[in-house]
Amino acid sequence: MYRIGFDVGGTFTDFTMLDEGRGSVHYFKVPSTPHDPSEAIGAGLSALIADHDIDPALVRHLGHGTTVATNMVIERKGALTGLITTRGFRDTLEIGRQTRPHLYDYSIGRPTPLVPRDLRLEVDERTLSDGTVEVPLDEEQVAEAARKLGEAGVGAVVICFLHSYRRPDHERRAGEIVRAILPDAYVSLSSNVLPEFREYERMSTTVLNAYMGPRMGTYLERLLGRVGDLGITGELDTVHSNGGLMSVPTVREIPVRTCVSGPAAGVIGAAEIGRVANFPNLVTFDVGGTSTDVSVIVGGKPLFASDRLVADYPVKTPMIDIHVIGAGGGSIAAIDDAGALKVGPRSAGAAPGPVAYGRGGTEPTITDANIVLGRLDPVALLEGRLPVDAAAARAVIEERIARPLGLSVEEAAYGILRIANANMSRAIRSVSTERGHDIRDFALFAYGGAGPLHACDLAQDCGIRTVLVPQEPGTLCARGILLSDINMDFVRSELSLAGEASWRRVCAVLGEMRDEATAWLVREGVAEEDRQLRIMVDARYDGQNFEVSVPLDEVREDGLRDMVERFRRQHVQEYGYDVSDRPVEIVNCRIQAIGRVARVPVSAPVPVHGLDAVKGRRPVYFGKDAGWVETSIYRRGQLPIGRTFAGPAIIEEMSSTLIVQPGQTVTVDPVGNLIVSIFE
Amino acid sequence: MADRDSPISKAEGQLFDPIAMEVFSNRLLSITEDMGNRLVRASFSPNIKERKDCSVAMFDGKGRLIAQAAHIPMHLGSLSGGVETVLGDYGVDNVREGDVFICNDAYLAGGTHAPDITIVTPIFWEGRCRFFAANIGHHSDVGGTYPGSVSPTARTVFEEGIRIPLVRIVREGELDTGLLTLLAQNSREPADRVADLKVQIAANERGAQLMLELVRQLGIDAVEQSIEDILAYTARRLRNRIAALKDGTGSHVCHLDDDGFGGDPVAIRATLTVEGENLTVDFDGSGPQCRGSYNMPKSAMLASVYYAVKTMLDPELMANEGMFASITMRAPEGTITNPTFPAAVGMRSNTAQRVAASVIGAFAHFLPRERVMAASNDAMPAMVFSGRSRRRPGTYVYVETIGGGAGGRAGHDGADGTHVHITNSSNLPAEALENEYPLVVDEYSLVTDSGGAGQWRGGMGIARQIRALDDDTFCYASSEGTIVPADGVFGGGKGAVAHIIRDRGTPGEHEIPANQPRLVLAPGQSVRIETPGGGGFGDPQARDVAAIAADLRQGRVTPAAVRAAYGEAKAAEAERLSA
Repeated sequence: MYRIGFDVGGTFTDFTMLDEGRGSVHYFKVPSTPHDPSEAIGAGLSALIADHDIDPALVRHLGHGTTVATNMVIERKGALTGLITTRGFRDTLEIGRQTRPHLYDYSIGRPTPLVPRDLRLEVDERTLSDGTVEVPLDEEQVAEAARKLGEAGVGAVVICFLHSYRRPDHERRAGEIVRAILPDAYVSLSSNVLPEFREYERMSTTVLNAYMGPRMGTYLERLLGRVGDLGITGELDTVHSNGGLMSVPTVREIPVRTCVSGPAAGVIGAAEIGRVANFPNLVTFDVGGTSTDVSVIVGGKPLFASDRLVADYPVKTPMIDIHVIGAGGGSIAAIDDAGALKVGPRSAGAAPGPVAYGRGGTEPTITDANIVLGRLDPVALLEGRLPVDAAAARAVIEERIARPLGLSVEEAAYGILRIANANMSRAIRSVSTERGHDIRDFALFAYGGAGPLHACDLAQDCGIRTVLVPQEPGTLCARGILLSDINMDFVRSELSLAGEASWRRVCAVLGEMRDEATAWLVREGVAEEDRQLRIMVDARYDGQNFEVSVPLDEVREDGLRDMVERFRRQHVQEYGYDVSDRPVEIVNCRIQAIGRVARVPVSAPVPVHGLDAVKGRRPVYFGKDAGWVETSIYRRGQLPIGRTFAGPAIIEEMSSTLIVQPGQTVTVDPVGNLIVSIFE
Repeated sequence: MADRDSPISKAEGQLFDPIAMEVFSNRLLSITEDMGNRLVRASFSPNIKERKDCSVAMFDGKGRLIAQAAHIPMHLGSLSGGVETVLGDYGVDNVREGDVFICNDAYLAGGTHAPDITIVTPIFWEGRCRFFAANIGHHSDVGGTYPGSVSPTARTVFEEGIRIPLVRIVREGELDTGLLTLLAQNSREPADRVADLKVQIAANERGAQLMLELVRQLGIDAVEQSIEDILAYTARRLRNRIAALKDGTGSHVCHLDDDGFGGDPVAIRATLTVEGENLTVDFDGSGPQCRGSYNMPKSAMLASVYYAVKTMLDPELMANEGMFASITMRAPEGTITNPTFPAAVGMRSNTAQRVAASVIGAFAHFLPRERVMAASNDAMPAMVFSGRSRRRPGTYVYVETIGGGAGGRAGHDGADGTHVHITNSSNLPAEALENEYPLVVDEYSLVTDSGGAGQWRGGMGIARQIRALDDDTFCYASSEGTIVPADGVFGGGKGAVAHIIRDRGTPGEHEIPANQPRLVLAPGQSVRIETPGGGGFGDPQARDVAAIAADLRQGRVTPAAVRAAYGEAKAAEAERLSA
């Protein structure tokens, strides 16, 4: 049997196929097809099946990472969406938190709401915070609003009423009315998408969900069609933002949960690979062409966040905490009018790209500096598929940077790298200290095309002692998909001071949610022995406005004291102190339903004895003191397990290049990861 | 700050090592970011933790600002003021390793108002004080006559909470617990004060550790050289921006509605003079010191001017001493922008908004049209509710500041419903508010017809209407700009003024004055505040008719207002298009 994971990126669609019988893994890449992402998926799957001569009926599972939802928002290509809300609150979507995105720069505005003001309609209805109905739902007004939105030609309708997380009746009834009048519209209720208090975030998340809904459905249809045409009958799941898998019907209903689908899979992969390699604490570092993703893994578990911006719109769903830095291989180096050398935030991106790629780029980028310094192959990349013009890169750095600053070309190029690394180090430090961690206790897990290129320099900058580079770091997200469990988060706000009476209510709510979660696992086809429920309560000290998640082993009516004790311990862990005489307030009940997926142990690649892994040598510049050093180039695929050698070294593979500095040592671990020791 | 001569390294504009400087500046900002993250994470009170009403900075041994983490522009003033006072009151030779200083007073220690408490920690290397770590937290109450320690009708600083001159809270490593208790017990929430002050001290300690680590790694000489480079670079960059302006003098006048006790509007006049690479900002011609607490201590004035300069000339400019080198400021003593002891200063934020606006307005004389901005709401509208808590013994106090319209700019309508200038704090969601207090939000919306007309119209103000559920609910609603509207530029119209309305939609509906101190509401009674809109940019006749039609279709403007502002012909066409 086979399992295939694939991740659709902006430039490439990556595949990882696991042969469960042999325990072997195969990697593959095809160019993405942004006009219809399912085209590249179909082509790649078909090539994989043909190349390995596989019976499609033996592919029992497909997992997929997708940027379809996010791209729809970035490109503003979602459905025309209408909103029906409580009287007095249609501008909530526009005012947001009343803040401006940049303190000093008024040219940076808030994004235009995805629902224009004339399609945001108010109706009479009001539920209070305790769930009592102050104004009953005016059903005639709802029908009137639905008709009006229908005339405007909306493809999706959002219903978001105040305090619906506590009492969803009005939203449900309004949903029925709208569906009856607009049977073809995609309807999202905020109490379904995000039953949590704080109306702006709930409204925004539900609006994005509805905006994505209709086209996500079309995309899934097309994808299922292509998979079916290939004769594959296995399940198709999608990775969602918290790194778990969801079935097609669930994605159709809550597409907003796929906003960071692919990157989340990468982090799951990193956590799993790190766990096996005995590095439970990791900072992950994924450098692409225009941006860099950073996340923190503690004790083998990724950190989670509950909100982020997607194309500047707030989205609140459980998700892996991935921090995006606006720096990548395409970041442009330039001298400003006051004499400083700056790298980024402007980027040449994929088009026009670095000067060395000869696609019209005219300004020096980080990639150009890497080529000039011999860190990237100055002849061709991607196993010869991408020719490189090193002379052009050299000329542009000389003209724009070296000459004005009175430096040699290599000093200038090296300066660009130092500054780029300093920018990235600062971002990495900030990500870890914001979450209360000291980065020096972590190993750096480098992936993405350019992660390994910068990792060893960066680790040295940050005082990190170890760098871990997995196999084929350029396709890690696709591999991570094969390591993901099926899962789904359920949440309900239940605000009350922790006391005997309120705890009984919390237990009742958690009980209902447990039934709901189990029913979902059954629907997803998870066998009983693979089911797991993680129970959590979000709580805070009375008077505070931020919550701490408290994991519980079980729901027990006599478990109040246990919960409060765990809360205090958790508060100490996260913030360094507790306030023992302060009452505790419960905010949310959470259950994560998990369907465990069997992980076939991956055997290491067979060491190739007698074959020299060194494929050549080239000079690499390692700074003013070391200068140019003649450096061996190794083929990653031919490095045997257990081999240890000292830098300087270049280790190349299809999707990535690792640079090891003089004085650093690299080892191939028992499962094929490269482990670099940064300091003696 | 500005009036101290800033010893900037060699020939300005020639950096010693631009690459080392850029690497170093990232390391330095990592340190202030780390301090800021610690301060926010570890603090207890929602005001610091949730609203991030705090700032951190690093200074060198000479008291020059070398890095500030971006939080609250206003705090720049008291951070510098605190360090200056350490150097002035004690002198660098009398500071000992392990000392930590605390202060808040506007007249004794460079503060801007009492709730902002500054902590300054000297950092020693090889026995000499080389740096200072500093941070500020806005403490939600430091005692005084009014909860929150701020009221427009306070007349002296003695009504505004405990005055802390510059004193040592830690002496050579030992915390003065007696002093800490004294400060905490002068607040209405002593436990929060103790927790947050300890966190402030720890945040500086962390900054000191990291700074020393950096010195160990790079060497003190390299660090000091890079500091000179950073300051020289920032100074050069701002000088280039100023040099690009045409030479000359230009003024702009803004008005506060009154001084807190009624009477005439109070002028804030900024006169900018550009001579080559230098800028002078003079507040001569501004109104006299107020009877109430709208007075603005000098350090707050400096911070507001730097905010305005950065906004108009270079939003990405690093905040450090290099900024101060090319700007000279003057404010005559005894005026609203430089009051004399013991004038109250609690409401200085309102004045700061107008000071920033007056400088931004005066820049219109120097900048090309496409970089000019019409006046924004330039106010600090606020609502305070207080009453018996349903959740716990005692009373609750709910405070919120409310945004308004931003000014129009070339190519863009002003932002609707947003905070401007020296504040950017977020709202409390209606659902959070209703869970916490016996109040109901009846409306939170944009105010129709509130943006000033123009080729690019001003942003819309916000309406927020809150109803009491319980007896004896006290309410205090205030807004600047109930009398003086936001001006347009280049022929643009004025924004709508603010309104405060009782019991809207009932037979008892009526408008009330802006500074009526204490209203008492019965169940079902409400207070509504409509904040000012922004001014318009350019001749309304030049506005694209499709934009007017879109505003009509979206209900942002009424047909009647369109006719009045844009004329019958345009209005008719817009109405046809919007149908």
